Amino acid sequence: MSSWLDYTINGLIVGNVYALVAVGLALIFGVSRLINFAQGSIYLVGAYIGWVAVVQLHTPLPLTIIVVAAAAAVVGLVIERFGLRPLQNSVRIAPLLATIGISFVLDQLVMLTFSPNPRALPSQLPDVRFQLGGGTIGPLDLLIAGVGLTSALLLFVFLRYSKLGWAVRAASQDRDAAMQMGVDVNRVNQAVFGIAAALGGVSGMLVGMYYNQIDTAMSLQATLKGVVAEVVGGAGNVPGAVIGSLLLGLVESYGVAVFGTSYRNLFAFLLLVVVLVLRPNGLFASARQAPPEPLTGTFIAPSRPVRIPRWALAVAAAIFAALPFFPVSFYVLQTLINAWLLGMLALSLTLVAGTMGQVSLGHAALLAIGAYTSALLSLTLSVPVGLAVIGGGLMSAALGTLLISPSFRLRGHYVSIATLAIGEIVSLVILNWESVTRGPIGISGIPPLSLFGYDLISPTSIYWFSFAVMVVLALLQGRLLTSHLGRSFRAIRDDDIAARAYGLSLNRYKSLAFIFGGFAAGVSGGIAAHLYSYINHETFNTQQSILALTVVILGGLGNVVGAIVGAVALVGLPEVFRIAAEYRILIYGIVLLLLVRFRPQGLLGTI
Amino acid sequence: MSNIDRRTLVKGSLAAMMAGAAFSRSAFAQSSEPILLGVSGPLTGPNAQYGTQWKQGFDLALDEITAAGGINGRKLAYQFEDSQSDPRQSVAIAQKFVSNPAIVLELGDFSSPASMAASPIYQRGGLVQFGFTNSHPDFTKGGDFMWSTSVSQADEQPLLAAYAVKRLGLKKLAVLHLNTDWGRTSRDYFVKAAKEYGAEVAVTEGYIAEERDFRSTLVRVRDSNPDGLILISYYSDGALIARQARQVGLKQTICAASSVYSPKFLELGGEAVEDVHLGTRYFPEDPRPEVKKFIAGFKAKYGGQEPDAFNAYAYDAMNMAAAVVKIGGTDRRAVRDAFAKVKDVSSVIFGSATFDVESRRVKGAMNAELVVRKGQFALWDGKPT
Repeated sequence: MSSWLDYTINGLIVGNVYALVAVGLALIFGVSRLINFAQGSIYLVGAYIGWVAVVQLHTPLPLTIIVVAAAAAVVGLVIERFGLRPLQNSVRIAPLLATIGISFVLDQLVMLTFSPNPRALPSQLPDVRFQLGGGTIGPLDLLIAGVGLTSALLLFVFLRYSKLGWAVRAASQDRDAAMQMGVDVNRVNQAVFGIAAALGGVSGMLVGMYYNQIDTAMSLQATLKGVVAEVVGGAGNVPGAVIGSLLLGLVESYGVAVFGTSYRNLFAFLLLVVVLVLRPNGLFASARQAPPEPLTGTFIAPSRPVRIPRWALAVAAAIFAALPFFPVSFYVLQTLINAWLLGMLALSLTLVAGTMGQVSLGHAALLAIGAYTSALLSLTLSVPVGLAVIGGGLMSAALGTLLISPSFRLRGHYVSIATLAIGEIVSLVILNWESVTRGPIGISGIPPLSLFGYDLISPTSIYWFSFAVMVVLALLQGRLLTSHLGRSFRAIRDDDIAARAYGLSLNRYKSLAFIFGGFAAGVSGGIAAHLYSYINHETFNTQQSILALTVVILGGLGNVVGAIVGAVALVGLPEVFRIAAEYRILIYGIVLLLLVRFRPQGLLGTI
Repeated sequence: MSNIDRRTLVKGSLAAMMAGAAFSRSAFAQSSEPILLGVSGPLTGPNAQYGTQWKQGFDLALDEITAAGGINGRKLAYQFEDSQSDPRQSVAIAQKFVSNPAIVLELGDFSSPASMAASPIYQRGGLVQFGFTNSHPDFTKGGDFMWSTSVSQADEQPLLAAYAVKRLGLKKLAVLHLNTDWGRTSRDYFVKAAKEYGAEVAVTEGYIAEERDFRSTLVRVRDSNPDGLILISYYSDGALIARQARQVGLKQTICAASSVYSPKFLELGGEAVEDVHLGTRYFPEDPRPEVKKFIAGFKAKYGGQEPDAFNAYAYDAMNMAAAVVKIGGTDRRAVRDAFAKVKDVSSVIFGSATFDVESRRVKGAMNAELVVRKGQFALWDGKPT
């Protein structure tokens, strides 16, 4: 029995830590309806500024907190002014991509300045421990709880009783109306980003002290857990974010208690999916609250796509098909194979995200399902590889659609978060379902690609094979978009109420989109499995999902050619920047930001 | 100058340079051009710290090799390509290395998904993939061009089990392990050996690499009433677990795998890692000459910094590569055959390393039983803690 008390206490302690990030995310979401993927990076920056203050300058704790808060706030203001404000009149999806780019840049800057080695960040509080249940807590636990609760309370008071706070709330309810009433929306945004960043920075520092450890990998994890906690509590709801965080901590802790450590995150993400399905606005949203997303399609604004004449496409395809006849190195071919595989994934995502408006952040899961299915079919059942890859595509289509179907009723950002969670769940199931997937050991010795009994081993043959598959999928998808079905998809994206009024069954069309998209992604995963010969649960990770989304937004949502161009660009750029060694991801991030800044509708435009 | 178009000038000089390079390569194959090794590893991304440690180890070994006259008069050099431990990038790098005739041997990658995805390309391309941190049991089964000096967990874990069970007298163990291919394989070998030595394994808990909070896991551990905790961890997560174990009031003996052997473990763990036992391949006061040379050289080159396990793996790997290239020359097949011929290469990890031609791995890692005393790694004196 006493163990349950300990599990409860531990859950609250770690929930406390999540709350610090979640509050900042909630604040930003509340005002600008934006999931700020850079919040984790600000948290990272705060931790390292704290390290400089504590270890190099020996500042006392109150001063450290002030220094970190001030420096992080400046970072937040810079992000708002130069990263996001120029995008405020463009597509709603552009700022999301911008925050991803900003987080690349910030993480890389920290890594280059401080080296990727983890560092100790000593706590400046006296090391006394209080007995609580079977374990102990220290002054830092209390300080973190204090900071979390106080900041939530202060924010609540600020939003409710101060003039700027009113302006913030007005701007979050209806930006245009607030502007007409004379609210300086830019100043509001600035204030919000400053406060959220200060909070993020301080939380990074406190969490670093708590674990006596900071490293450059901490930012993505912080963002992931923060997003989960925030959405559970009700996106944009500050006190809700605190309670959501504590709940998340408790669920994880009880999950560990009942099933063991390796199931921990599984429960966190299951909680998220359940909450989203049952109460899409979060546990603590009031019924009267305005819908979190506009009802009609401003999330993905149509733009005028760049028209590429058919003959140009045919010529381009012919050139790429003939490429192996020219003296190009296998390295170039291999890079393009990667681009074609990513292109298939992007085709899938651009259909569900662009054409259908269901922005998925868990698309790597479809790769993983396809890859594991194809690998296991060919290894254990000796299915010929060509058929196994198709089997992988079918499985991905079926399982992916089934998994995503509970979240069909969600809109806008909530779809992204639900798919993010589903992606993580798939990866954790692969890790834990050892009897089938072989767990962390992974599957090795996967046979190479083969077709009608001929092994495709040379880079040239793999190149032709993957290129051909991608072109076929692209042609099919192009045909689909111009058909009645494609028009229905876009109708649902642009105005789902009007679409429903015309008698379109939303769920059926969403299923169709995911079935087609799942097949393309599954085939891509299947080919990758046979190409790599070894896969485990880490092969298809969250970074791949984010990369896929970046490709799609960069190419232009819903744009078939754009998806392929985007894939070539995002596989090619990091290879081109190899010459810059450690700096290449930094340059990549900056290029991404510039592209978003000057082509927010994507290179080839939304269709 | 003024009447020559600038672009033509650049073009012309480029062409001249290329012609020159081609000429020198063909005519003076035995010239002063360095012998080039390819390295595929993480310099950015979540595993970036390990790539940086590799570089330190490589550079130290190269300094010594150059000072000793290089390889038959030629310098040895490496080209490090950042893979972020991402299989998509490691396969592209593999093609890059395979198609570059100057590369005679490849080292890396770090993680199993990245390394083993690239193996088919190295195997078909006929370039040795020398994976010196690849403990996955199937790594060298990828083909006869896959060789590894990674300490086999089948070797290491029984040594750790003997230390914990026979020397420290622990009878009921709780095993915490990284839930990766390495951690899982290690756990299985450890549990098997510990049982053979007569200990009971009360609970095993696998955690993912990004995990930071272990308090609830440690409650599970506490409830299983062990008399010792076994950490199959890297130094950063190992330090976190040790700290939190002490915070939740666990006072049991902690025994850790050699991968925590790093000054960072002491720095990150602070007082909590005091009295932690660990088996390692070498230790600071090790009287072996190759270890003395390695530690002294490392400290001199990197401003007094203590080397850790990953530095040592990289240092050994570069020395092994030099020994192999000395025999095999610059022909890729001859380099592969040289792995079977090279004998008794001086090594920090193995003392002297010779490949087992069957498994293409090296057996018989050195073993030292250490304990953390007063914030330093020290040879265990046999006294209970």
